[in-house]
Amino acid sequence: MPIISTQGLTKIYNERIVPVTALNNVSLDFDAGEFTAIIGPSGSGKTTLLNMLGGLDKPTSGNITINGLEITGMKENRLMDYRLRNIGFVFQSYNLIPVLTAIENVSFIMLLQKQPRNVIEKRAIELLEQVGLSDRIHSRPGELSGGQQQRVAVARALASKPNYVLADEPTANLDTKSAFTLLDIMEKLNHEEKITLIFSTHDQRVIERARRVITLVDGTVTTDIPVEKQQV
Amino acid sequence: MALLIKIAWRNIWRNPSRSLTIILAVVVGLFAGIYASSISFGFVDQRFENSIERFISHIQLHNPDFVHDGEGFQLVANPGEKINWLDTSSAVKTFSVRTRVNGIVATAGVTNGAMIVGIDPAQEKATTRFDEWLKEGSYFEGVKRNPILIGSELAEKMHAGINSRIVLTFMDLEGNITSASFKVAGIFKTIDKPFDESNVFVLRSDLVKYLAVPEAVHEIAVLLKDPAQVKAVGDAMKLRWPETSARTWYEISPELQYLQEMTGQMLLVFIFIILLGLGFGILNTMLMSVFERTREIGMLMAIGMNKRRVFGLVLLETIFLSFTGAIGGMVTGVTLVKLSASKGIDFASVAGDSLADYGYGSLVYPSVSTGFVLGITAMVFVIAVLAAIYPALKALGLVPAEAVRKE
Ligand SMILES: Nc1ncnc2c1ncn2[C@@H]1O[C@H](COP(=O)(O)OP(=O)(O)OP(=O)(O)O)[C@@H](O)[C@H]1O
Ligand SMILES: [Mg+2]
Repeated sequence: MPIISTQGLTKIYNERIVPVTALNNVSLDFDAGEFTAIIGPSGSGKTTLLNMLGGLDKPTSGNITINGLEITGMKENRLMDYRLRNIGFVFQSYNLIPVLTAIENVSFIMLLQKQPRNVIEKRAIELLEQVGLSDRIHSRPGELSGGQQQRVAVARALASKPNYVLADEPTANLDTKSAFTLLDIMEKLNHEEKITLIFSTHDQRVIERARRVITLVDGTVTTDIPVEKQQV
Repeated sequence: MALLIKIAWRNIWRNPSRSLTIILAVVVGLFAGIYASSISFGFVDQRFENSIERFISHIQLHNPDFVHDGEGFQLVANPGEKINWLDTSSAVKTFSVRTRVNGIVATAGVTNGAMIVGIDPAQEKATTRFDEWLKEGSYFEGVKRNPILIGSELAEKMHAGINSRIVLTFMDLEGNITSASFKVAGIFKTIDKPFDESNVFVLRSDLVKYLAVPEAVHEIAVLLKDPAQVKAVGDAMKLRWPETSARTWYEISPELQYLQEMTGQMLLVFIFIILLGLGFGILNTMLMSVFERTREIGMLMAIGMNKRRVFGLVLLETIFLSFTGAIGGMVTGVTLVKLSASKGIDFASVAGDSLADYGYGSLVYPSVSTGFVLGITAMVFVIAVLAAIYPALKALGLVPAEAVRKE
């Protein structure tokens, strides 16, 4: 059974005034352990799709099922709690709380989940180690490079032990070296920790690493190529 | 949640100049409010102390009719028994036995009506510290026969000085007109000009000689050891001496008590108005801060911070901002009050003698009560919560999907 499944997902913005169809009848399944890139030109609906998958926005029609549970009709408060417990997010920017250190940022989400304190600290240190920042755990975001900040964001996204992690253009603001470091980490986490990762990107460097590539054009899926075929 | 507190506290220092501006406004506003209030309280305290400790005392005993008519023949019944009781009662600190008659005061050429009060100098000194009002001459010393103390206002009017002869004319208790010559031993000046104009003090032992009733007592003023016992002791006296009027200071001068309560309430309203104005400043600061952080707050909601916590965060930030200023204002305000309380502030240079017309001395000891400061603290809290609501609602209105979009 796929962990995420969408049926006929459609999103129309500004329905009353100037309707913009950002997503048009998108039906997709995502399996556990995927490492999937969503690509497409600007305005093709990548962010819109990820927001739907993350429960940040509601579709105009169609529905989303996560682990067999429909999230489309959930009340906002429940959805918020659902996100906290099941979905990890990495955004393009403004990911971290600027007044908290790296370790506090990573701990924050676990505190929201009301995990025991001793567990939180141990796990936060562990995660920052995994993203190669064990020497920067007490730095605030402002003292970290863009790439380092995104790595903290990845650690934060994983802290909640989510079912899957959504990343909207995580490398867009990064230089090549930082982008690759981040990708290496994401790949490793996917490989070793079996984290399901779905990310959108413009970035050719990133696309090459993905094991499944979904292409959106004008809100419609045009190609959906799994890794095996890509390699052929 | 400790982390929320940490975030809130650090958030207010993200824009230090903006936060400091509003904090400083709160500090200055509260400081000024508290200090101005403390001076008003000082005046009220002074009025209170002067009226009770220097004039009224805690309880006064009279013939019930004397309270209304003030006629010379309306004497306190069985004064000896009462004096004995007062002498032995453990609640009583001191008391002063007085004989009072209305009369005419005359020097060569000038006459004036006055209340002639006969006192025992030692008792009066212990009860009202009357000797401390003396401006010239001495407290009944230096004059062998019939010494008299007169107020400075009256002395001026009558062109009388130390050792001047003064003739008192009054009715004795049998209705005969009596005159006697007295010699000025001292001139007093209280803070109450009308009082100084209309009262003269002589030895009770001298006065009763002319009254035809040697044991004539019109008034006994009683000072208690514990001011809190006033009601209890007053009630006991009423029970014990039903034929005598025993009035406590608040029965004699109820306005004194209202004055104290009313002043406290009015000054709290005054501070509330200051705080209300500051509240709009706080609201504005918080609104700016929320608008600046649209994305960040959207991100927090996206990753799972619920509305209650977002609301709590904005509320905490507002409270921290307000209380940082409020504590600053209260500490500086109260400190200055305490500093100036020991020496007092003399308004003589600005107000001159005019305060005395209203029964106030020019030297004021600023004071604030703990209750007043607690009242302010509660109001700051209320204002902070009120100022937080609108910005917090704005924060809650953010849509995470919008807030986290790039650009
Ligand atoms: N809040 C909105 N109101 C109206 N139209 C919107 C809104 N958000 C997005 N759109 C429109 O929906 C379409 C899809 O936008 P979306 O942001 O999902 O594209 P994208 O693939 O993420 O683009 P990019 O690569 O530039 O990030 C675009 O035409 C966009 O203008
Ligand atoms: Mg996008």
